[in-house]
Amino acid sequence: MSESNFKRFIEVGRVVLLRSGPHSGKIAVISEVIDHNRAIVDGPATGVPRQSYPFRHLTLTPFRLSKLPRGAGSGVVLKQLTSEGILEKWNKSAWATKRTAIEKRRSLNDFERFKTFVAKKGRRDVVRKSVKVAKKA
Amino acid sequence: MTVSEYQVVGRHLPTEAEPNPKIYRMRIFALNEVVAKSRFWYFLRQLKKVKKANGEIIGVNLIHEKKPLKVKNFGIWLRYDSRSGTHNMYKEFRELSRADAVKSLYQDMAARHRARFRSIHILRVVEIEKSEDVRRPYIKQLLVPKLRFPLPHRVQKTRSTFIAHRPSTFN
Amino acid sequence: MARSKTISPNVGRLSRSQVFAKRGLHKGQKKSEKPAASETPLTKEVQIGGEKNGSTRIVPTSKAPRYYPAEDVRKPKKSRKLIVPTKLRSSITPGTVLILLAGRFRGKRVVFLKQLESGLLLVTGPFRVNGVPLRRVNQAYVIATSTKIDFEGITIDEKINDAYFAKPVVKGRSSAEEEFFAEGKPKEKEPFSESKAADQKSVDKAIIAAIKEEEYLAKYLKATFGLTKGQYPHQLKF
Repeated sequence: MSESNFKRFIEVGRVVLLRSGPHSGKIAVISEVIDHNRAIVDGPATGVPRQSYPFRHLTLTPFRLSKLPRGAGSGVVLKQLTSEGILEKWNKSAWATKRTAIEKRRSLNDFERFKTFVAKKGRRDVVRKSVKVAKKA
Repeated sequence: MTVSEYQVVGRHLPTEAEPNPKIYRMRIFALNEVVAKSRFWYFLRQLKKVKKANGEIIGVNLIHEKKPLKVKNFGIWLRYDSRSGTHNMYKEFRELSRADAVKSLYQDMAARHRARFRSIHILRVVEIEKSEDVRRPYIKQLLVPKLRFPLPHRVQKTRSTFIAHRPSTFN
Repeated sequence: MARSKTISPNVGRLSRSQVFAKRGLHKGQKKSEKPAASETPLTKEVQIGGEKNGSTRIVPTSKAPRYYPAEDVRKPKKSRKLIVPTKLRSSITPGTVLILLAGRFRGKRVVFLKQLESGLLLVTGPFRVNGVPLRRVNQAYVIATSTKIDFEGITIDEKINDAYFAKPVVKGRSSAEEEFFAEGKPKEKEPFSESKAADQKSVDKAIIAAIKEEEYLAKYLKATFGLTKGQYPHQLKF
């Protein structure tokens, strides 16, 4: 197993991203594997109640709780999540920041979209001019 | 369509010869209360000299799972009528509740043996508490310590409506 | 859905009274009693001249008609339609920026002023900002955005109503030639009435002041709305 080319596994303690259902978009922890299709997922730090979740609707993240025992309760999961700082690590990751940025862009209203359009235009202008200056030199 | 577990209680109607008939109780897995009562009469008339016409149902209760968020291993004994005869079977399931285990038993029997609900009798559903007592290898393989496995060959959904894209299954 | 499904076109399954009972219309029924109609006697006594006529005679109050029409004239069906005032969409309040979807100014972002009696929306560009004059639009042809300009203390003159926008009725011109040509030459275009231009200015003045409060708002109103690749209006937030 240690020579496996795979980097992320279904295992107890693996942090996963939920991809469907009312909690889609939140992260949670696998606290027990039911079978080859489902696991018990728990996200006390992100408001995901303990529940069975199919792997089909999960995406594995590179994070994991290294010391989580099998079938641990929500309290233990919460403690280990905070002690290992998983939530901060996740929020800092490029994946999560990209997701929040996309989410934010989607929630803009018409006027805010216009303002970003103006700002982007301004940025383009500055870049173009400085490139021209640099080319001359 | 979820199977739930019911407790059905019934008895023979009181007669002059027997003013206090014996009360029978059964735990029955059924889709709903109506089916549960029907199954109760079906089993009772096979076992005792009581049928629906001369009996009454005293009560039907839904039995809830005590710990619905704990993963348990269940052993189920069943009897089923195949096309050529009757067989007894023992199967194991890893589920969250007794009712879920029975539900997946019916699925499994339908898949492997084309068995219908009417041709299956559930004899006994038992939670296997010790992992040494698990008999079947397909459950045993999930009970190893430090269980882990990758999710290979995942097919991502493509977003486009009209243009076809080859799925990328590498991750 | 209609409670009385049709058996065949225009014939309902239920009678009028059954529909009345099903819809529970009795709940909104007025209970007040009508004033009793004053009874007019069927006959009256009339004084008659001439000695041999017995001085008085009893005649009917309303004379029977001399003749009856040979054919029955159909009575027109009584219309039971009601004029229900148009409901303003809840997302539209005075000061809301709207996107026009149809007509000459489609794509323009305008400011909503008020709803007129006819149900149409009174909007303005403002004219100086994006060239859209005071104008009436149907709310069906409009996207309401969540952007609102501060409308506090702004009032719209009462004289700007549906009649204000009515075309002047011109009588006495019959031929099309007469309408467009005078003395063999194309007619001069009639200048825009000065009073209307003044109205436009006076209405826009307060609104332009409010627009200037916020950065980019004037620029936003000047820009037109459009969809780019990958943008779906049902997924956008306005």
